[in-house]
Amino acid sequence: MLGIDAGGTMTDTFFVDADGDFVVGKAQSTPQNEALGLIASSQDGLGTWGLSLEDALRQLQTGVYSGTAMLNRVVQRKGLRCGLIVNRGMEDFHRMGRAIQCYLGYAYEDRIHLNTHRYDPPLVPRNLTRGVVERIDMFGTVVIPLRDESAREAARELIAADVEGIVISLLHSYKNPTHERRVRDIVLEEIGRSGKAIPVFASADYYPVRKETHRTNTTILEGYAAEPSRQTLKKISDAFKEHGTKFDFRVMATHGGTISWKAKELARTIVSGPIGGVIGAKYLGEVLGYTNIACSDIGGTSFDVALITQGELTIKNDPDMARLVLSLPLVAMDSVGAGAGSFIRLDPYTKAIKLGPDSAGYRVGVCWKESGIETVTVSDCHMVLGYLNPDNFLGGAVKLDRQRSVEAIKAQLADPLGLSVEDAAAGVIELLDSELRDYLRSMISGKGYNPTSFVCFSYGGAGPVHTYGYTEGLGFEDVIVPAWAAGFSAFGCAAADFEYRYDKSLDINLAPEASAEQGEAAARTLQGAWEELTHNVLEEFKLNGYDAADVTLQPGYRMQYRGQLNDLEIESPIPAAQSAEDWNTLVAAFNATYGRVYAASARSPELGYSVTGAIMRGTVPIPKPKIPKDDLEGETPPQEAVLGQRKFYRRKRWVDAQLYRMESLRPGNRIKGPAIIESDATTFVVPDGFETFLDGHRLFHLKEV
Amino acid sequence: MAYTRSKIADLIDGKIDADTLHQMLSTPKDPERFATYVEVLQERVPWDDKIILPLGPKLYIVQLKASKQWKVRCECGHDFCDWRENWKLHARIHLRDTPETMEEIYPRLMAPTSSWQVLREYYCPECGTLHDVEAPTPWYPVIRDFEPDIDAFYRETLGIPVPERAEAA
Repeated sequence: MLGIDAGGTMTDTFFVDADGDFVVGKAQSTPQNEALGLIASSQDGLGTWGLSLEDALRQLQTGVYSGTAMLNRVVQRKGLRCGLIVNRGMEDFHRMGRAIQCYLGYAYEDRIHLNTHRYDPPLVPRNLTRGVVERIDMFGTVVIPLRDESAREAARELIAADVEGIVISLLHSYKNPTHERRVRDIVLEEIGRSGKAIPVFASADYYPVRKETHRTNTTILEGYAAEPSRQTLKKISDAFKEHGTKFDFRVMATHGGTISWKAKELARTIVSGPIGGVIGAKYLGEVLGYTNIACSDIGGTSFDVALITQGELTIKNDPDMARLVLSLPLVAMDSVGAGAGSFIRLDPYTKAIKLGPDSAGYRVGVCWKESGIETVTVSDCHMVLGYLNPDNFLGGAVKLDRQRSVEAIKAQLADPLGLSVEDAAAGVIELLDSELRDYLRSMISGKGYNPTSFVCFSYGGAGPVHTYGYTEGLGFEDVIVPAWAAGFSAFGCAAADFEYRYDKSLDINLAPEASAEQGEAAARTLQGAWEELTHNVLEEFKLNGYDAADVTLQPGYRMQYRGQLNDLEIESPIPAAQSAEDWNTLVAAFNATYGRVYAASARSPELGYSVTGAIMRGTVPIPKPKIPKDDLEGETPPQEAVLGQRKFYRRKRWVDAQLYRMESLRPGNRIKGPAIIESDATTFVVPDGFETFLDGHRLFHLKEV
Repeated sequence: MAYTRSKIADLIDGKIDADTLHQMLSTPKDPERFATYVEVLQERVPWDDKIILPLGPKLYIVQLKASKQWKVRCECGHDFCDWRENWKLHARIHLRDTPETMEEIYPRLMAPTSSWQVLREYYCPECGTLHDVEAPTPWYPVIRDFEPDIDAFYRETLGIPVPERAEAA
């Protein structure tokens, strides 16, 4: 099994064999032809097993891809030239966007600093936007019939302008798609007549959900950014097939499942990396019996946290990405802009230490001479304090210079503050740790939970360096660092279901005193939506050669008490809804979930119920990575794992930390801090006052002693 | 954090890239900024009297080379007045206070009602540069928009001595 994480600079591959053994490969990314970097990364990984690429690929059962290419294409506005058809008189709404888009992705300080707000160029420029005459109101009633000729004219003009895709998004088409589909058919006719081949995307066929800007942005992304990615993925799939694989690559999607590169709704693969980790944690939890998990991931630029409660993820319906509001189901994650690459500066007036919000990203910090970075980063502080090994960063691929960090910290932080270099660096780390800890605590308690009922998973390249810091004193039930922390996202991708998900907005409103007939009508409306979505899901699987009989369908719905603002996503306990009794079953499932998520006493059945959306998820069985299960050995680490000692500074004193090689530690080993466990791609810090135990699943458990 | 001269020049020209601009706006001001900014401006003006403070895109307070007097000066070299006076009182004023003059620049019915609001345009008498526009009620006095405390700015904010100044005769 193969998991791929193609980042902007490095391409990681994660191979798992039938026993759950794995190797991680790394290679420079090759944006021109991503397949090259992937093959190189695979060879690097398989080299550890002494396997040739051909031999390994022939045995490969499945492969999952995640990457940032599509996101970069949107951020840099390098997508295809698309045309947009909207209501006449509404031609400017895409260009104007939503006000929130002018500060999305900003740090809080900048959000309230209006001068920094800025509108990005629209995905489709005004001169490629056309209006058609029609209007449907919010109840789905036709107010102005569609004037076919206006659609025909719009189509002809856009075709003549040589667009590479045509996107159609009319007001309230989620409620009544007839006009939009008619426009789509007219556009298709005109394209046929012109002899050109231009793909057409009608929002009602893709994202029949409320909110114009969200729906329009998302549908445009299908044409603007997803089509080029489809070509890339096809190339990768073909390149691997040439080397002997027999399957189609799947891609991690925002809803937490994987989909094929042939999928109709491909825009939802725009972000996938961070989700992989959450799915990996969920999968580990399912196998090992953890139901409440706090997932934490520190990379170069950000700290991401997601909660899994009672084995379930939270899905957000209108996320934002690349400074665009979108209508995609996204695994909910909270993010703070503090990572290992964050810049450290002193406020010139107050002399307060300020972390970020910008970061050096992959360029590490001053300690890497070739990076050209001059401002101190968190990694420089790690370097000075002995957290990191200057000769073994990314397995020695990048040589770091501790002395450069010392000098930079002295000049930029220590001298102005009148502190020693160690104390200035330690102050930065303490500040970062407490920021992350407060953030984690507020995230968990803000949702009404207590850390004591959660297991904290820590992964990502820099996660394990700080695990002790941001979990200390929070009282988690357990703190777990997987031995493959750096490849955890790729692992998660490999562990994800092959799953399609379609959503549709609904407006079902039932008063508390509603009759049985009204309940039955509501059930039938929901059933109608489910059937429409089932059709879409089965269609997607058909593209990959799966019969309807192979697909397991799971309907869902979003429900709320009438008049409340937030809905909850509920998995339907029944496969189909037909009767008043079925409606009552759905209501009971909602009440139960509401009581669990908030409190039983907060339930408000006296308000009546609204269903705001229908969901259909379909899965087919695929092989998943096996979690290793080894027998426990002695508590003392084997001699070959011991690498020596390094000076390590914390709490105002230098100590000798014992160094270990992560790969050589055996299940059952127990290590008391101060110790540093090094691997090529990550460093796990166990300071004094902590100890860690490696269990049979190759998970480190960290606890305070 | 210092920026290169060419970034500052881009800033002056309004051609700076969004990322650098955002960084400038969200981080504390770089100490060298004012000096570099004025240096770039000084190179671009056709005279060599020292710029003390820019007042607008083409308007400056300058120190006359010979007499060390401070004047408000247009980019073309025209001196309006002493730096403590309101330069607008020495400018050519074009008043738009009728529907006809308003409609030269606005579509009909989209301009202010001139009995309620007028437009006053302030031009350099020598080169005709439009330096400022006011939109007050008709009876409102000429607005003095900026009275900089240059001494405090130089001494306390920039931390450098105030350039020599000869009081006007």
